[in-house]
Amino acid sequence: MNLLSKIAAAGALTLIAACSNNDPSALGGAGGAGANGTLVPGSPSDPRSPAYFQQTVGDRVLFAVNQSTLSPQAQTVLQGQADWLLANPDFVATIEGHADEQGTREYNLALGARRANAAREYLISRGVAGNRLTTVSYGKERPIEICSTEECYSKNRRAVTVLTGSTLG
Amino acid sequence: MDTGTKISAIAHVSLIGWALFGGTFRSEPLPMAVQDISVVSAEQFAAMTAQRNAPEVPADPADLQPPAEPDEVETPAPTAEQPPESEPVAQPEPEPEPEIEPEAVEIAPEPELIEQPPTLEEPEVAALPVPPGPEAEPSPADKIAPEQIAPPPPEAKPDDIETPPVSLEDGAETQQEQQDQTAPEEAAPEIVTEAEEVDDPAPRTSPRPRVRPNRPAPPPEPEVAETPEPAPSEPAQSEQAINDALAEALGNGTEPSGPPLTSGEKDAMRVAVSRCWNVGSLSTDALQTVVVVGFSLTPDGKVVGGSLRMLDSSGGTSASAKQAYEAARRAVLRCGAKGYDLPADKYSQWQDIEITFNPERMRIK
Amino acid sequence: MMKLLTSLFVGLTLLAAPVHAQSGPLRLEIDEGIIEPLPFAVPNFVPDGPAAAQYAQDISRVIVSDLTGTGLFREISADAFISRVSSFDAPVQFPDWKAINAQALVTGAVNVSGKRLTVRFRVWDVFSGQELGNGLQFAGTTDGWRRMAHKVADQVYSRITGEGAYFDSRVAFVSESGPKDQRRKRLAIMDYDGANVQYLTDSAAIVLAPRFSPSGDRLLYTSYETGQPRIYLLDVGRVQRQELPTEAGTMSFSPRFSPDGRSIVYSLSQGGNTDLWKMDLATRQSVRLTNTPAIETAPSYSPDGSQIVFESDRSGSPQLYIMPATGGEATRISFGQGRYGTPVWSPRGDLIAFTKQNKGRFHIGVMRTNGDEERLLTASFLDEGPTWSPNGRVIMFTRETQGASGRSALYSVDISGRNLRPVRTPDGGSDPSWGPLQN
Repeated sequence: MNLLSKIAAAGALTLIAACSNNDPSALGGAGGAGANGTLVPGSPSDPRSPAYFQQTVGDRVLFAVNQSTLSPQAQTVLQGQADWLLANPDFVATIEGHADEQGTREYNLALGARRANAAREYLISRGVAGNRLTTVSYGKERPIEICSTEECYSKNRRAVTVLTGSTLG
Repeated sequence: MDTGTKISAIAHVSLIGWALFGGTFRSEPLPMAVQDISVVSAEQFAAMTAQRNAPEVPADPADLQPPAEPDEVETPAPTAEQPPESEPVAQPEPEPEPEIEPEAVEIAPEPELIEQPPTLEEPEVAALPVPPGPEAEPSPADKIAPEQIAPPPPEAKPDDIETPPVSLEDGAETQQEQQDQTAPEEAAPEIVTEAEEVDDPAPRTSPRPRVRPNRPAPPPEPEVAETPEPAPSEPAQSEQAINDALAEALGNGTEPSGPPLTSGEKDAMRVAVSRCWNVGSLSTDALQTVVVVGFSLTPDGKVVGGSLRMLDSSGGTSASAKQAYEAARRAVLRCGAKGYDLPADKYSQWQDIEITFNPERMRIK
Repeated sequence: MMKLLTSLFVGLTLLAAPVHAQSGPLRLEIDEGIIEPLPFAVPNFVPDGPAAAQYAQDISRVIVSDLTGTGLFREISADAFISRVSSFDAPVQFPDWKAINAQALVTGAVNVSGKRLTVRFRVWDVFSGQELGNGLQFAGTTDGWRRMAHKVADQVYSRITGEGAYFDSRVAFVSESGPKDQRRKRLAIMDYDGANVQYLTDSAAIVLAPRFSPSGDRLLYTSYETGQPRIYLLDVGRVQRQELPTEAGTMSFSPRFSPDGRSIVYSLSQGGNTDLWKMDLATRQSVRLTNTPAIETAPSYSPDGSQIVFESDRSGSPQLYIMPATGGEATRISFGQGRYGTPVWSPRGDLIAFTKQNKGRFHIGVMRTNGDEERLLTASFLDEGPTWSPNGRVIMFTRETQGASGRSALYSVDISGRNLRPVRTPDGGSDPSWGPLQN
């Protein structure tokens, strides 16, 4: 049940993101950051929204084949995530580790765990409280791209920071 | 358990007896054992699972079919079907071995069966409408003997016609499909697997040279190219040579039985039998077993009824010797069905034959 | 060398007994034979009445299907038959079967009274006219007819090949449907040949890698039911499951039973690091077996329970290792090029099956327990997760096809590397676990 609700939550986030994506100019035209007059709460233009986190800050980092080390670009993205999380202390996050399909199911689960943990450790090193960050690995079970070439694989080797709750306080 | 032991004992005794006497003394009625199987039927199972699984149905209509039946069955099943499971008959013991069933032994031996085995009587059977016709006979040609790569008669042979190319219906990788039919591939001393033959550049095996030094050479096996040549038999030949030489040296004037077989004649006999020696259906244990089989031939080259017996076996297990012997027996009988082609003037040289069947080169490594 | 010695020995014998030298039996050695499926015939079993007719026919077909499915046998179709078998007890007309080159013959009869089904059969070696083993009778209920057919086929198979039986067994697997990025997975169980598929879970949560207990009454599997991968123990008969307790904040997966069924070995990920643990199923207490910064996963016990083979990337890439079942120093056994994973110890104890990834291809292979004699049995875009048939002769595994429309399916292959064939399932399938021979 827990998972279901999470999936529902994730789905809702995705929907919001998708909808707003369709007409970004309408909403974000005034400039997302701090344009309070046109700001629709929860939209990507709301810097305190999960959608903003997902799209503007960037919710994911990518990895090289079989690796879990963070590239400089990944560190930049994570720095942004850390800043956002520090600015929005009501949110907690689950970091999902994923692998591409080149590898056995078991090994990829463990590899995904490594990747998720690498992201988590980095966020903690930037000041985010460890108890706000959980990890889970999906191994190769949840690809976002389904072609069998490096173009897709590179996007599937990822750690995604998913905001799982707001107003805890 | 007790009965099991008895049955086992009976089985062993009869096996030994049969091995000793080559099946000539088949006086006992054919025994028959009985075993009850406690089976959870699909319906019962479905009924059980249905109770737990119902919820998902709406989620994916595609999966609806299975749940559908459980529904109907669900009610009747628990009452009607579950009992059988606990039925006394249905569950002998937690871990009953197949043959173990008390009543079993007696049940089968029906009187008529007693006569059944003696069907060996050649005469009577021979009189029957369709005797083994020559074409229908397992001609050596349709076999995939190692020596036989050139002749590709498989398709031509009656029994091979229907050979389903063990194709893997859809997902099959091509080269795999051939293996059932293609003589050459089967005859290769090494089994070629999908992993090895695919044209992909992937290494076929880890580069551990010591493991299989001869590995990379399955195709380049040209020696196998021709018809039954004395080629593969260097050892035999040298043995032959020694024997012959010794025989000569000792003066073959002593033998009233005609000159010894030439090595070519021996080879022909060896090849004749090896064409029918099919180890393809043997267990890995049986492929470790060397058996020595003895038999006698009539002057026209046919196996004397009842003369075939296992003289020795080594390697493998005692159980595997049985199957190894049976494969050897099939080889001798099948290829000799029309009589082996041996020089009549040397009958005394080949009246009695002992053949060692050594599967060493044929085994799955 | 041996041959030379033999020759010398023969020579000596000749010297010793010159007079009889030529009158002994002709001795030959044959070391080359043929490898081909053994032709066999199964005339329809004789029904004892109209009620048994369909069963008799169906049972005969399943027997044929089991035998031909091994790749070791080839059916001679009924069209070629010269003899009809109209009575189980009538003498077999061997010449008629020899004539069509049926080397083995299975005769049988089926009796139905009410819901009770009885099957009798005999196996014949046609060319010697000998019965292989003794006649045997199986009795059960009519809905168990398939199992009875498998039982008969098992007997025939074992008696001819000498190999252990395996047809009367079940396979647990993950039934898969939907595209790769929205794949729905359900735990399922079926007969080894794909018949009688039953679902054990719904597809609300991802389920992975079911593993049969040694006696076949329970399954271990991994599910994301709680959001984290966790190990569950499922009673197959009652379809009741329970989560096995592992530390909070951890992921547990890749479980396998010990040969006595009393404990399990599994992977536990904590802080990004994956090690092997062992849990006593009675007390639910776990102990750690490995403690390295590397990934250790996919453990599998030796049949005697004394050792565990597993996968670790402690050398930098995933390779296979063996360690004592209590933990301790591990010995690497895989040294080839590429990456090795999912080792599974064969039920006979002599081989280890594994997945190998090399140069963009995946293979299922086997090696000796010391790593020698590695042989790759398959090659494709993605093969993984081997499981052994109860007799250690056949391996079933997952094959996933390439690309956006890729599907996963179950395949089986003989350990000789021959007879690769798909196992039919209603949807896609993955992660097979072959259960024991049923009683």
